[in-house]
Amino acid sequence: MSNEFLALGIIFIFIFVTTIVGMLPGMKEKLNLEGWAIGGREFGRWLSWFILAGEIYTAFAFLGASGWAYARGGPTFYILGYGALAYVVGYYLLPKISPIGRKFSLMTQPDLVQHIYDSKLLGILVAIIGVLFLLPYLQLQLTGLGIIIQTCSYGLITKVPAMLIAFTLVAIFVYLSGLKGVASTAVIKDVVMIVAVVFFGLYLPFHFFGSVGNMFEALEAAKPGFLALPGGTKVLDVSWVMSTLVLTSLGFYMWPHFSANSFSAKSPEVLRHNAVFLPLYQICLLFPMLIGFTALLIIPGLSNPDMSFMLMVQKVFPGWALGLVGGAGALACMIPASDLILNTSMIFTRNIYCRGFNPNADHTHQKFVARIIVFIVTATALCLAIFAPNLLVNLLLIGYSGVTQFFPMIVLGLFWKRATKIASFCGLIVGETLVVYLTFSKLDPLAIFGLHLNAGFAALMVNLIIFVVISILTSNNDNIVAKEKRLSAS
Amino acid sequence: MKALKFVLTLIPFVWTIAAIPFVNTVKPIVLGLPFLAFWLVAGIFVAFVCLSIVYKIDTKNSNG
Repeated sequence: MSNEFLALGIIFIFIFVTTIVGMLPGMKEKLNLEGWAIGGREFGRWLSWFILAGEIYTAFAFLGASGWAYARGGPTFYILGYGALAYVVGYYLLPKISPIGRKFSLMTQPDLVQHIYDSKLLGILVAIIGVLFLLPYLQLQLTGLGIIIQTCSYGLITKVPAMLIAFTLVAIFVYLSGLKGVASTAVIKDVVMIVAVVFFGLYLPFHFFGSVGNMFEALEAAKPGFLALPGGTKVLDVSWVMSTLVLTSLGFYMWPHFSANSFSAKSPEVLRHNAVFLPLYQICLLFPMLIGFTALLIIPGLSNPDMSFMLMVQKVFPGWALGLVGGAGALACMIPASDLILNTSMIFTRNIYCRGFNPNADHTHQKFVARIIVFIVTATALCLAIFAPNLLVNLLLIGYSGVTQFFPMIVLGLFWKRATKIASFCGLIVGETLVVYLTFSKLDPLAIFGLHLNAGFAALMVNLIIFVVISILTSNNDNIVAKEKRLSAS
Repeated sequence: MKALKFVLTLIPFVWTIAAIPFVNTVKPIVLGLPFLAFWLVAGIFVAFVCLSIVYKIDTKNSNG
């Protein structure tokens, strides 16, 4: 059989088997809204681990990290740093959110914000912003899936049909399976992914250079300084990496889907225990980078660096092996995409549609609307991917800058009794305005006082200052007492 | 205990973020990795160890 059919065939077997596994929990019992959206709040250690860890191995880790290593060099290593720090933040944050969610029946991040500040309007604002910034992250996953199908077909299927195929698969998957399906298939995805990236990440440098060290020596000889900061760029220097590490480690759990994922845990203890071990998982992100660096020496001059992983495998291995990698990669795009779509549609339904237009909708109606929104959200991300294509890492960083602006409002809101509603509005609006302004006027990274700061970081600092000052000015005893009452989960 | 937990929480951030200006070199290549990459990978283990101790302290408290 020819290579392209072999490769595509294997990918579809992967996707088919996973979809069946994902559908099983939904077929055994009739899922209500809570069961579909947050797994009925009964995930133990393992499912909780995989739903939290499942967000690490996305299309970005797989294709974007190798693409960045290929194009930029040293700055890529920031990816190794932020995950472990994010889990340190998560260790304190998630166990605090989870019991409040259980006690007050919260399902989404805007639910949480609305509850902390007792403000419907703030909840709606957070919902709108959350949906807007989830879209580029979702676009990233669909673009990744498109790249994989395109490469595995050896050019037989072009980008747009590839993404249309990807879109259909993902939307059907979420519609049928809900969060429990996402979690149980994340188990398959993570195991396959780890085997694939560790094998190829070590095999390729050994195959061409004899060892990982030799590969790096050769790269350093060919391009001196490429592996330190600012690597192959002019502006991604020490100050950029430091500010990006702050932004991404604080922003990690501000992604709206993580609130829902922490609501799905059976107990805060589950979340605490998993946070301890999650940092180690982060080491797996090193392997795609090794492939990107090897590719730079072996196949220089690629027009799309995000394709370096797939093209290296295509160069060295026959079609069936490319199919295995493609299958693993397809899952790495599909599972996180499903989680994102599920949450986007939940936020849209509960926090924009119901709060804004139809407050009396019962759970059955909400579930019906949420399932329709699944297709609308996916189609929107698909249009973005086709008409506004972007490098994977740019999509990731735009999303991060946006969602991290929630940090003062949510984290200080939970841990600092003087945080107020008015301060949240002001900080959030100023923060998001700055992010949008800096990003679209190409001021990211922001050159200031001889430093290159991540624009999202600069916006976060302004946001934080405004939030703290206005909170101090506007808090009074009455609202401190009322807020403490809302936040006590016992 | 509270002070110890605070320090343990701070260490991973100092290791991974504050140290960047001092570890931004390619050589020496340690365990096959450029020095900057090696340092950040080591930071993952540092975070794991620090969180493990914090977790031990927390579980001891909840039992006692």
